[in-house]
Amino acid sequence: MSNKQRWAAVAFFLLVVLVIVPAAIAASGRVDLYYTLTAVALLSIASAGVWLTFYIGRINIGQGAYALVGGYVSALLITKGDISFWWTLPLAGTFCALLSVLIGLPILRLRGVYFAMVTLVLTEVSRLTALAMPFTNGAKGITSIKLPAELNILGLTIIPDFNTLANPKLAFYWMAAIMMVLTYAVLWRIVNSRLGHLCRSLQQNEELASSIGVNIAWLRVLAYAISSFFGGIAGASFVAISQSLYPSSFQITDSVNFMLNCFLGGLGFVFGPMLGTLLLYFGWDLLFATGRFQLLIYSSLMIALMLWLPNGVLSLMDRKGVRQ
Amino acid sequence: MEQVVVNGLYLGAQYALIALGLTLIFSLMNVLNFAHGQMYVLGGFVTYTVVAQFGLPFIVGLLASGVALAAIGALVEKFLFRPVIRNSKREESTMLLAAGIAFFLDAIILLFFGEKQRGLPKIVDGVFNWDFIVVMPYDRILIGLLAITMVAVFILFMQHSKTGRAMRALAQDKVAARLMGVDVDRYSMIGFALGAMLAGIVGGLLVTITGINLGMGGPTSINAFMMIMIGGAGVISGAIMGGFILGMMESVGLTLLASSGEITYLAIFASLMVFLAVRPQGLMGKPWG
Amino acid sequence: MSVILEVKGATKRYGGLVAVNNVSFIVNEGKILSVIGPNGAGKSTLFKLIASFVQTSAGEVLLRGERISDLAPHTVARKGVVRTFQETTIFKSMTVRENIIVAHHLRSRASLLGFFLGTGLAKADEALFAESADGIIDFLGLQTIRDELASNLPQGHLRALGMAIGLATQPAVLLLDEPFAGMNHDETMHMVALVRRLRDERGVTVLLVEHDMPAVMKISDRIVVLNFGEKIAEGTPSEIQNNPKVIEAYLGAEDAAIGM
Repeated sequence: MSNKQRWAAVAFFLLVVLVIVPAAIAASGRVDLYYTLTAVALLSIASAGVWLTFYIGRINIGQGAYALVGGYVSALLITKGDISFWWTLPLAGTFCALLSVLIGLPILRLRGVYFAMVTLVLTEVSRLTALAMPFTNGAKGITSIKLPAELNILGLTIIPDFNTLANPKLAFYWMAAIMMVLTYAVLWRIVNSRLGHLCRSLQQNEELASSIGVNIAWLRVLAYAISSFFGGIAGASFVAISQSLYPSSFQITDSVNFMLNCFLGGLGFVFGPMLGTLLLYFGWDLLFATGRFQLLIYSSLMIALMLWLPNGVLSLMDRKGVRQ
Repeated sequence: MEQVVVNGLYLGAQYALIALGLTLIFSLMNVLNFAHGQMYVLGGFVTYTVVAQFGLPFIVGLLASGVALAAIGALVEKFLFRPVIRNSKREESTMLLAAGIAFFLDAIILLFFGEKQRGLPKIVDGVFNWDFIVVMPYDRILIGLLAITMVAVFILFMQHSKTGRAMRALAQDKVAARLMGVDVDRYSMIGFALGAMLAGIVGGLLVTITGINLGMGGPTSINAFMMIMIGGAGVISGAIMGGFILGMMESVGLTLLASSGEITYLAIFASLMVFLAVRPQGLMGKPWG
Repeated sequence: MSVILEVKGATKRYGGLVAVNNVSFIVNEGKILSVIGPNGAGKSTLFKLIASFVQTSAGEVLLRGERISDLAPHTVARKGVVRTFQETTIFKSMTVRENIIVAHHLRSRASLLGFFLGTGLAKADEALFAESADGIIDFLGLQTIRDELASNLPQGHLRALGMAIGLATQPAVLLLDEPFAGMNHDETMHMVALVRRLRDERGVTVLLVEHDMPAVMKISDRIVVLNFGEKIAEGTPSEIQNNPKVIEAYLGAEDAAIGM
């Protein structure tokens, strides 16, 4: 794909996501789809983080922890610190990144299932901490969180106050979509730059990577920090939409789902988690009509997919030159 | 103090059985059976159904659980895990499959047994009371002893039977075992079936004491993972130690921090993470290269 | 002639097993030193100790007088002691040329952030690496396979690629792990010439582990012989050939006898 083609594809994608889809939704009257797609966009951001951890060769089932932590940082800053939501976003992300450095330094040495299990425990720990800590209000959670206020830089209103909007759902959709596009742009750039090469060298042969001067411990922590940043901002964004947060908002199931989104899309492809999230979330939603059989059909399809395409959906595209 | 210890032993025995099943599967196939908790729940429901709905004795219920889960385990290994392991390039695919199977079993349980909590009446009445220093209902003692017996039988089986030895060889070195003529496929299947069976039997045992419901699957899996992490994955002694340690920690924690179950678990989990950061292979696991 | 590398009493214990026991020798700058010995003599472990991929149980390794043992492996690489690997190449899915370019990472001046953002310095680095990679390709005679995917390469070429990757780091000391393994006579002679040129034209000090005795005799300035983790002999090729202890060690281990 030449550069021109690439930019054209990006422009087209933006057009579809930011203009055509909302228009279609408005026309069809199915306004609930705004929320569905907003959720897909935000969840795909968290999943992108998990994908990045895979990229350095680790199985991360702990992203739910950072989503929760990010959510609480944002919620607390808004309710107790009276800080505008927009500023809490990067703050939540940064806090999660720093936290993940602390946690990652000891645990990133572990590999395979061992690392996976520790991250699983991490999700539980964050939930229990949220329940037990005095300032998080325990099981009652944090509620009545204000809608995002206006974002005013140097006197210019960049983002209007959500309270004044006629259709906040659409606004949230745009917010999520733009965040998703930015996240994947960053991810794509990482993968296709030297940083990506180095991460792949880690995957292939750690000793050889060391030989060419890669500080493997540091690189892993860096990737993990970026990954957790994504988790944090996803969680914080959910807080703005649902205007409430509980310790149970992000649990192990969510961590597992983020991982599943990556697998399904295909771990070898940057856009894998986006596709995986879309399929799994929509798939689950669509199956709602089947009532009691929802979980049965969902899981059967998952198993069938694993039998048929054990390397993810995008592996159908697996020709030389396409794979990253 | 003695009460805490006895409680811990009782819990530990159950946990050890669960952990053994999980570690066996892991050692043979390098697969973490995400569905282990669900198999435990399924075992509980089978026993419940056999006893409460068909009116058969408890032992029959236990046997039914064992057989049913063994069958399920064998089928799952042969038709699901085997092809995926063969065809996939990454080890994560088996994790996804295991997760799918966990959801699937949850769905089955929901459909066949419903959402309600079920329990069985005590199999033995009365309470053992030693001067109020140790108070333990007889049925718990019985279940605890049954569990310990099974752990012992399992160990003996793995040490001395032909099947057991084949599986241990397989766990140690797949290639070497194959060269020695061990049928890898067959013993993987047996191992998985055995692991599932153990989970099912514990479910059956505990349905008379704590009851069983759909939601217990996930947390039980997590506890089982923790146990083998503490003790060392893939190692029998590790599973047993992990089981008893977790049982003891719960007992101690719940007694000391009687007010808050959450803080108990938080303390357990957090210390586990610290422990693993320092000693990733667990207590008995093979050291890292 | 200056001493570039000094191994002092290097020892490595794995539990009760002593893999390398109190091995000492020096390497002069710009020379080729081979480490030989029967299978299991501890040669690979010694290499790992020198490049700091394993911790010493005792003893140390000095590079120009500075201790490099027990440092992080990437730090040792940065200081100029680089180890090549037998069969593995960094990127199976990239071409030979791309592999060599990436291996220049060690000598990049721009930071990771710079590469992410595509700053001028990063771009300059990339251009430099491409040029250097082409130079290495020419030097090693890899032009015919420059655009071949690394996963498609046969053994001999993989070995050359491994050496190219090592060269990209601009090492002071290059540790070659069995560079002649699996090669026929012509290929071996070609590789011998290449290694000599490494020393002569690029001033690289070369340490190698090898089993191919004729090649070792032909190429080495000095030879160190290990057996059961201990140094049993050291000297020029002719000294080693006539050393009774060495002959015994090889015959005793059912290995090929030394001879030309």
